Amino acid sequence: MSSWLDYTINGLIVGNVYALVAVGLALIFGVSRLINFAQGSIYLVGAYIGWVAVVQLHTPLPLTIIVVAAAAAIVGLIIERFGLRPLQNSVRIAPLLATIGISFVLDQLVMLTFSPNPRALPSQLPDVRFQVGGGTIGPLDLLIAGVGLTSALLLFVFLRYSKLGWAVRAASQDRDAAMQMGVDVNRVNQAVFGIAAALGGVSGMLVGMYYNQIDTAMSLQATLKGVVAEVVGGAGNVPGAVIGSLLLGLVESYGVAVFGTSYRNLFAFLLLVVVLVLRPNGLFASARQAPPEPLTGTFIAPSRPVRIPWWALAVAAAGFAVLPLFPVSFYVLQTLINAWLLGMLALSLTLVAGTMGQVSLGHAALLAIGAYTSALLSLTLNVPVGLAVIGGGLMSAALGTLLISPSFRLRGHYVSIATLAIGEIVSLVILNWESVTRGPIGISGIPPLSVFGYDLISPTSIYWFSFAVMVVLALLQGRLLTSHLGRSFRAIRDDDIAARAYGLSLNRYKSLAFIFGGFAAGISGGIAAHLYSYINHETFNTQQSILALTVVILGGLGNVVGAMLGAVALVGLPEVFRIAAEYRILIYGIVLLLLVRFRPQGLLGTM
Amino acid sequence: MTTGASEPLLALSNVNTFYGQAQVHFDLSITVARGHIVCLLGGNASGKSTTMKIILGLVKPRSGNVTFDGASLIGLTTPQIVRRGIASVPEARRLFADMSVRENILMGAFVRNDREAVAQDLDKMLTLFPKLGQRLSQRAGSLSGGEQQMVAMARALMSRPRMIVMDEPTMGLSPLYVDRVLELIRAINQEGVSVFMVEQNASLALEIAHEAYVLQTGKIVLSGPARALKDDPRVRDAYLGGSEAA
Ligand SMILES: Nc1ncnc2c1ncn2[C@@H]1O[C@H](COP(=O)(O)OP(=O)(O)OP(=O)(O)O)[C@@H](O)[C@H]1O
Ligand SMILES: [Mg+2]
Repeated sequence: MSSWLDYTINGLIVGNVYALVAVGLALIFGVSRLINFAQGSIYLVGAYIGWVAVVQLHTPLPLTIIVVAAAAAIVGLIIERFGLRPLQNSVRIAPLLATIGISFVLDQLVMLTFSPNPRALPSQLPDVRFQVGGGTIGPLDLLIAGVGLTSALLLFVFLRYSKLGWAVRAASQDRDAAMQMGVDVNRVNQAVFGIAAALGGVSGMLVGMYYNQIDTAMSLQATLKGVVAEVVGGAGNVPGAVIGSLLLGLVESYGVAVFGTSYRNLFAFLLLVVVLVLRPNGLFASARQAPPEPLTGTFIAPSRPVRIPWWALAVAAAGFAVLPLFPVSFYVLQTLINAWLLGMLALSLTLVAGTMGQVSLGHAALLAIGAYTSALLSLTLNVPVGLAVIGGGLMSAALGTLLISPSFRLRGHYVSIATLAIGEIVSLVILNWESVTRGPIGISGIPPLSVFGYDLISPTSIYWFSFAVMVVLALLQGRLLTSHLGRSFRAIRDDDIAARAYGLSLNRYKSLAFIFGGFAAGISGGIAAHLYSYINHETFNTQQSILALTVVILGGLGNVVGAMLGAVALVGLPEVFRIAAEYRILIYGIVLLLLVRFRPQGLLGTM
Repeated sequence: MTTGASEPLLALSNVNTFYGQAQVHFDLSITVARGHIVCLLGGNASGKSTTMKIILGLVKPRSGNVTFDGASLIGLTTPQIVRRGIASVPEARRLFADMSVRENILMGAFVRNDREAVAQDLDKMLTLFPKLGQRLSQRAGSLSGGEQQMVAMARALMSRPRMIVMDEPTMGLSPLYVDRVLELIRAINQEGVSVFMVEQNASLALEIAHEAYVLQTGKIVLSGPARALKDDPRVRDAYLGGSEAA
């Protein structure tokens, strides 16, 4: 049994690692008001460069650190120059989405180069432990602490005494005023991305050594932890990020001590949600500080949607409806069934993110709630599957809205962070609530789909059923958008302050959007559960949330027809071109990047 | 009053500016002669601050030209324009709130590399703005509005500019500070720095200006020597629109 001192040391060491990531996030947020979702990918790249250096090139430790820092910095500079600088004058959501696309691309490139299997990353340090008080400490702990402190010191000196450092500070307080002093904001951005990447890369390497293991799942975890620490410390606040990181490390470590390892992340995300709700500007923000988000909704690209005549839609729908009557392969039907399920999720997300302006990054959680509810209703309570699926939709609507409701007063990036965290919380609760969800074992033997007592086993019947459900949901949503309610949603998206001044209750309308969206996503998850017959806490993951977001942007945010078109395109085209599964995520990332850069309004335009 | 070289220091010619679909400037033409104080008057939302942003390259005009010392500024970035010798005192001062007063003033010298001369200029600012002496290590955000205005002016002077553009330098100041600010603008001008200032308060601005322009919804409706405009009833009619007396 380890002592409390051990947990404290462990918490501080892990906190140090988080700080290296979070400080970079804070610097970037300060200057660009951007949450860099690619920060974890740079951390991943750093870990693998460290592996190449240590295992293949046999570099000594100090050289390893320099190589990793330099290589990661170069990656950061490339991201800034080619991924983000071209987006300087686009809508505010564009750089955020671009960093998500970049992170997909980087993660997949690492996976394709090094295979997804974990690797050992030896620390090159002697394996001894010293007794300190009641606990122990090893050379690696000291190295991590040393790197953390040295980085903090260097950063302090840079910001306080160098000209570029002054420029960084000035730009992060008032970008326009800094430009009027002659500060070149592009150079500031370069500096900040280079530093953030170097710190992030070194952090990834140190973590790899600490656990003597690296794998590609590290990336998302690092981004999430870094974002938690940064937001807890106050977005854009560099010293705050350090303190937030140490706090996060300690909270996790003590949480693990009391409840066990599988609760580690749950504490991190609960901390985030609590801070977001109670002190969205972070624990240390002064009251004077301006909210780091613009006050009005310039978050979505305005555009004129492409009008598709109703008869063309009717012809397309009829075409898809009669498709199974022709001799098409099982494979084609299976692909389209996946597209319809994704289409339902995209309908939900396009309403919430597009029409309502709440860019959710945790939408897969709604699938999971619907899937688990429907599976458990039919398995344990013997509810007929058709009703169970509807139950899944209702539960997703209710629970999803309830979970997100504390974040209704957040805007822009903060909504994305909150939804990401809530998505993770849902998956962690499913993992840990074994008495109901069967925990890590998952649920197997879920009965097949059936309506009114008829089992839907043949691909044709499943195809028709899911297509019909999607079309009904789409018609309802189309009706909703042209109603008074739809106009109110858009009014709130475009200017929530003005909307409130006109007497619109933000909470009520956001709830309605999430209820409708939650229902559609829950139905999709419910159907999926009965099709797969087995689900676990990882069946519906962040990758799916991002895929849905890509679909929605491809179709045009808020665009109902676009959501379905985007789903067919993103699911169908890789099949048509027979792209191997391991390249698909890479392609999705590239599609997202290209869209953001060249067609932010999507194929059919935002509405 | 000397006219110096016949060519004006700053000239905007036929500038048309848009925010999206909305046009804010219609064939705007303004010149600032070397060594002069030129004042742009106008009511709310007439496009005054946008004129400043055009000069500084923060907003790009759709058509028209801006020249400084004979060379066009179109296509230059804001830092490049600042390096040509234009300093600014932005609307609402826009200090770097979490940096100290000293750091704020020194940020004004960002484009300079002559460290010793910069240090001397800092001392000079403290004689020009004696009150700032005791406040040097204080957070700029914690100063009063009047003190902040002093810091903003000192910051602008630190680049040793040939011209300063100021957006409503007297806004929100007590009468005592207003007089002080106007005096300082005159003093700065007498050192050879040309001044282009945006003001709503016509009678004050016309006290110190050499020339003035009156802007109404993006069009120049009146211009001429300040002395002539001071008693011209059309100034009031042109831009007050009956809202508030100057
Ligand atoms: N960034 C912007 N985007 C869109 N419209 C803008 C923007 N900035 C200013 N405007 C609009 O352009 C017009 C002119 O604004 P400007 O700030 O130049 O006026 P002003 O004369 O300085 O007004 P004030 O006396 O209130 O400072 C206003 O109608 C304003 O709403
Ligand atoms: Mg103005």
